[in-house]
Amino acid sequence: MSTSRTLNNAKNNGVHNDPYPNSSHIPRSASEALSRPAPRSKPLTQAQRDFLASALRVNQAGELAATLIYTAQTPVVVASHPHLRPLMKHMYDQEAGHFSTFNSLIAKHRVRPTAMYPVWTIAASALGWGTAIMGREAAMACTEAVETEIGTHYNDQVKWLLGMAEQMEASGEQLGDDIKGLISTIRRIRDEELEHLDHAVENDAKKAVPHELLTSFIRAGCRGAIWVSERV
Amino acid sequence: MAAPSTILRRLRPISARGNLLARTYHSYDHPPPPGPFSTTESTILSASLPHIPSHGFTLTSLSLGAKDAGYIDASTNLFPQGPFALVHYHLLTQRLGLAQKKEVLEADEGIGAKVKKLTWERLMGNKEIVHRWQEALALMAQPSNVPTSLKELAAQSDEIWFLSGDISVDTSWYTKRASLSTIYAATELFMTTDKSPDYIDTREFLDRRFKDVQFVGGVVGSVSQWVGFTASAGLNVLRSKGVRV
Ligand SMILES: [Fe+2]
Ligand SMILES: [Fe+2]
Repeated sequence: MSTSRTLNNAKNNGVHNDPYPNSSHIPRSASEALSRPAPRSKPLTQAQRDFLASALRVNQAGELAATLIYTAQTPVVVASHPHLRPLMKHMYDQEAGHFSTFNSLIAKHRVRPTAMYPVWTIAASALGWGTAIMGREAAMACTEAVETEIGTHYNDQVKWLLGMAEQMEASGEQLGDDIKGLISTIRRIRDEELEHLDHAVENDAKKAVPHELLTSFIRAGCRGAIWVSERV
Repeated sequence: MAAPSTILRRLRPISARGNLLARTYHSYDHPPPPGPFSTTESTILSASLPHIPSHGFTLTSLSLGAKDAGYIDASTNLFPQGPFALVHYHLLTQRLGLAQKKEVLEADEGIGAKVKKLTWERLMGNKEIVHRWQEALALMAQPSNVPTSLKELAAQSDEIWFLSGDISVDTSWYTKRASLSTIYAATELFMTTDKSPDYIDTREFLDRRFKDVQFVGGVVGSVSQWVGFTASAGLNVLRSKGVRV
């Protein structure tokens, strides 16, 4: 069997009359030509690329939902509690920033956005509107529940990425600016989400009735949505 | 000496994972993961391409290519999927070649115009073998080859939108790729029967398909708005009508 493979050694390295202008250079993967060369580092493993893709996808979906929740809540909440306008706007603006951060990362790294986009849009708007008409406390309990899940979720991602960084550095590989940047971006966003959580608690989220039922229901919904968005 | 089947298994292209949508993170800091063909396989396939116009997408082309590249005939055993390897290699190299179309990519034009031009460039990549393309289509339609063929088609549409500078990451991401894939597949089939000079008829056919879909600020936009028609939009419409919700 091995003879056919050794025969080639000294001969003819693919020099031939080629009717296809681009095939003499054989790129090994999509848009290699657009990549910055990084000759000394290894390709990311399939598991690493899958993790990064699903992390960006689920984060984009989550931030989409967050902007829509606040969009739906704000007019209702502000109508009866005008003093909350600056806070709602501040939180919305941060969510809009997060959303556009992940939008550009998804486009840049050519990750497929979630196929459930329209579903999340409807669900998040309904959740925001529904909790808002239940009153300020319920609206804040919604924020509390969502941000608790999201905070944990971002923490898990940071942990995974730091583990990956450690592994790569141990084997002498370069992490690269994109992943370094991603780690600090997720950390910053996580801190902002936890800040939203504090605002919600300061604004009587815990006084929502029935608080436990409402938050555990929303948190279960978030976990389900995260699970689906990581995959679909 | 290992059993031939073991060797074959080891040499089989790391077949791209079945899922059509399994497009994954593209890194700019790390080299791309290995493609579906090993260096040896690529060398043989690349040497086989010049034989396709006269011998088609067949084992004959493959073994002539192997001989040209300095391998013995039997090395076509490297390709358990048979002549489909030639089709796959053609699709792959043509797709990756799109990134080299500098005159299209660097032109000062909108996304829609670039999508059209790249699609045309890709069709012209079939020019030399178009009289053999129906053989390729038949191979692509075999059940075991369908996943790879569809995956290549999807990857090609993704490549064209990406290279044209499209950065939309909402539901239109799907509608754009799906409609471009459909248009491309229809036009490619039309081209196999086109006898007009310089493929004028194919060109017109393609233009009509693009007009049907109106990539530039037209129906694709509204289709995606329709698909994504949302509670949020509903709420905002109600609010704009003065309904206090
Ligand atoms: Fe956020
Ligand atoms: Fe938040």
